[in-house]
Amino acid sequence: MSAGMSAAAGAAPGAAPGTATGTATGSGRVGDSPRRVGGHDRVTGLQRYVADLHLPDELHARLVTVPVARARIVTIDASAAERVPGFRFVMTAADLPQPMPRFGPQFRDRPVIAVGETKYHGDPVAAVAADTRDAAEEAAGLVRVDYEELPAAFTVAAALDPAAPLVQDPSLRPNDPLVGTNVLREHRVGWGDVEAAVADLVVEQRYTFPMVTHFAIEPHAYIVAPDGDGIAVWSSIQHPNWLQKVLAELLRLPLSKVRVHSPDPGGGFGGKQHTKYEPLVAFMALRAGRPVRLVLTLEETFQAVRRAAAEVRVRTGFQSDGTLAFQDIEANYLIGAYADIADRVVGKGSYPGCGPYRVPAARILARSVLSHTVPSTAFRGFGNPQVNWAVESNLDEGARALGIDRLELRLRNLARPGEAFIPFDTPCDGQWEQSVRRAAELIGWGRPLPAGHGLGIAVGIKSGPTTGLSYATVRLLVDGSVIVFAGTSDMGQGARTVFAQIAADELGAPLDAVTVVMGDTAIVPYDQQTSASRSTVLMGNAVLAACREIQGKLRAMAARLHGLDEATVMVDRGVVRLPERELTILEVLVPGLGRLGGELIGNGEMRKDAEPDHPLGGSAAFFEFNCTAVEAAVDEETGDVTLVHYATVSDVGKAINPLQVRMQDEGAAIQGLGHTLMEHYIFDESGRIRNLGAIDYRIPTSLDLPLEIVSEHVENEDGPGPYGSKGMSEGALLCVASAVGAAVRDATGVAIRDLPLTPERVWRALQERP
Amino acid sequence: MHAFSYERPATLARAVALLEAHGPEARVLAGGTDLIIRLRDGSLAPTVVVDLKRIAELEPGIREADGRLVIGATTVMTDIAADARIRRRFEALAEAAAVVGSVQIRNRATLGGNICNASPAADTAPALLVHGAVVVIAGPSGSRRIPIDGWFVRSGVTTLGRGELVTAIELPLPAAPMGSVHLRRTRRRGHDLASVTLCCGVDASGVTRLAYGSVGPRPVLAVDATGVLADRDAAPDARTGLLERMLAEATPSARSMRASPDYRLAMLRVLARRGVDIATARLAAAEGRR
Repeated sequence: MSAGMSAAAGAAPGAAPGTATGTATGSGRVGDSPRRVGGHDRVTGLQRYVADLHLPDELHARLVTVPVARARIVTIDASAAERVPGFRFVMTAADLPQPMPRFGPQFRDRPVIAVGETKYHGDPVAAVAADTRDAAEEAAGLVRVDYEELPAAFTVAAALDPAAPLVQDPSLRPNDPLVGTNVLREHRVGWGDVEAAVADLVVEQRYTFPMVTHFAIEPHAYIVAPDGDGIAVWSSIQHPNWLQKVLAELLRLPLSKVRVHSPDPGGGFGGKQHTKYEPLVAFMALRAGRPVRLVLTLEETFQAVRRAAAEVRVRTGFQSDGTLAFQDIEANYLIGAYADIADRVVGKGSYPGCGPYRVPAARILARSVLSHTVPSTAFRGFGNPQVNWAVESNLDEGARALGIDRLELRLRNLARPGEAFIPFDTPCDGQWEQSVRRAAELIGWGRPLPAGHGLGIAVGIKSGPTTGLSYATVRLLVDGSVIVFAGTSDMGQGARTVFAQIAADELGAPLDAVTVVMGDTAIVPYDQQTSASRSTVLMGNAVLAACREIQGKLRAMAARLHGLDEATVMVDRGVVRLPERELTILEVLVPGLGRLGGELIGNGEMRKDAEPDHPLGGSAAFFEFNCTAVEAAVDEETGDVTLVHYATVSDVGKAINPLQVRMQDEGAAIQGLGHTLMEHYIFDESGRIRNLGAIDYRIPTSLDLPLEIVSEHVENEDGPGPYGSKGMSEGALLCVASAVGAAVRDATGVAIRDLPLTPERVWRALQERP
Repeated sequence: MHAFSYERPATLARAVALLEAHGPEARVLAGGTDLIIRLRDGSLAPTVVVDLKRIAELEPGIREADGRLVIGATTVMTDIAADARIRRRFEALAEAAAVVGSVQIRNRATLGGNICNASPAADTAPALLVHGAVVVIAGPSGSRRIPIDGWFVRSGVTTLGRGELVTAIELPLPAAPMGSVHLRRTRRRGHDLASVTLCCGVDASGVTRLAYGSVGPRPVLAVDATGVLADRDAAPDARTGLLERMLAEATPSARSMRASPDYRLAMLRVLARRGVDIATARLAAAEGRR
């Protein structure tokens, strides 16, 4: 980016626009809970999100869509739009390179803008650029699109119908045996012989999970500016390096000419992982020769990101003592019109579908079913909550049929430490029974309850990252202060604070003397991605390795200064240990650097390589494990569900910042209550989203929370991350629905197998109760 | 947002003249909690917006006069919900005002706006019906008053004529104690639009007034003057039959995605039964205090 633009862009003094920095305050050794780095700015409105940034001469873009899902685009007439004062240009497929550039993290199936036909309600057919946002909006509303509505598929059943219209153009899937269907891929995992397995009881049921959206509070926003012979990009993105690669390929630029600024997102939850409208805005900026910005409305965000809906059939075999005999799972995930990362979600989310149990025989079949709906993508839990809802609910059915306590049944089958519960994957890496027993204790499992109340307990498990690559650079400055460069995106999960605590602890710096720099691909070393609860483990280890490299230099420095053999000097958690005494880091650093001063630089790399023969391309770096227990009260006249007590316990290895761990688990629980109790997309017969926006798509508010939430965690320092930590923050979402559904079942005697458990759905089930 | 001209008259007469001149092309701005949303989403595109907030005669406020409580049309929900006189004597209205939108909305949304917007789900409408409110209107030919049960025509439509605007809502102060309550159904406990809203008022003479909304094109008032509904010793069948007749005007739309018609009707009955019980209990408590 040019110096002129940097100076004029109105960013905070000393920082390029969007280059977010943060300084920790308070004491903050590892295991403390200092105030969140950047937290003050986040809650007072000082933090500058992408939508808060403005560049000189910028144009405002607005999208043009049609009010149906699938339509043939006949003509696009912008003549009325052109008369709006401030109108600059309209961009359609015809204005883009031919053939239409396509992109996508798994399949290159997504066009920069709809070409020929729209595939879902919200698929943009044109974009207008104007001098102001109001002018762009006015002009976008005046672009006349003549279209012909086409047959479409919005449900699993409709999409799997042999006569269904194909969502994806067959030419995009050469040599694919499934090309004539809407099944993008099938994922099969299993072990043992399900057909031969003998069981005393077999329970088979079908469960459904709704289509929901992430609802990040920060709008998705994109700014692209021509920058010398390259481009500068600002995006509320979780994976800036991946975006950089996508744009470099589409625009045929060297990576070094695509500079991605990714200011800390205001919530991501997976929805901000992958490229969406950045290519469109980039082509518009290059056409305009000036910066172009696009800030999505909440309604447009609903049309950009969502979680896959699912229909899951589970057949579980039990022995009469509650021992599991087999699991037979078929999960049809309804993904959207473009693959995005959805097929990976299906494969990885269904893979640990049998749960953290000893299952002698397992068969899991999961399908990615394309449909004419919003492309589904990563969403906290990554495909696991859908299958968990089905499998955990089915275990309850079995326990009830066998007359075995539901907690007891889980404990009886739970994998023990070191047990290869998925035969070809990382063995059980925690004392999981501790979490289950603690959650049961917190909810008072087994106590007598008032009429209309019920208890539920469920466990969830998720594979951590299967591959990873994170680099970190740490600079120890001459006054003992520290700068950490880490390419993680801190979207609210608290990664800045965790890295600052690690560096502060290792280098003996006060936490408020540590600055963490993120969010600029021209400055910060490469990081593969911020996803799968990986950053504390993978980037945390990279930061730790960088600190250790500096410690090595300090060791050599101390040996030199004191005429000692280097082997007799130790540097450990901020202290330099000589044979006879201890020195502070500064007592070595200042004389060691000498008159010219300077600094010590350490680089760290954390790599988890792919395993080509593994079903997921790699074994789990760790497992996220959670147990949730709930007491629910149901108003039988209205169907209202009140969560009276709620306990969530996660196995986190080591809590580097216990308060942040608790906040993540509480946040995950509350987010999970959305799909459990109230959230779902509603479509009309044309595939138009009827509840588009906050008025008719309801998320939990503070008044909808359980009357009491208790969040605890188990720490045995048995994880692969710094100090024995494991990744966390998705775990507590995995089994929310399963635990709540079980409590509602316990309170009413009625099993409801479709989510969300709206009052009307519960009331209806009670009406139909025999 | 579509461009419009903005007028901020200083007098009621000027506002009436503007509204008369522009007719349906003009929209009134008070709290703006309905108008701004509809300007933004494009479902309204007036050529002129008339802001009432600087009109001296329309200062917000609640006062007692001639046996009535007079609530200025621009009085916001927060102030209505907090007013001691309303909480004591018109409890259903205080409860209704306290659940409109969110805290921020209630700090802006006005009572006049709530009835002029005439949503079938308007939270204050059933309470005003139960309490026998009178709408005070200013217009080109002067001032007029109409009872609230002649006000709502259908969704978004009232009996307000061209050039007219609401200046106040009056509540006759009841001579004898009354127990009243506002209940509603929403999809969640946090701020939401009602899928059924209901008020019940029972007075010392045994008259029960039930008003309900969001189950048809306009809120409905039904009165039991026989005293049967409020009489706990009356035959259950008689009370049930009476309640059924009082709720018979409910015609919920099948097109709504907020709740199905059968669920709305079932919940209307639940709320009505609970409403009668609560209002009766409150009446007894009020009589006990006397």
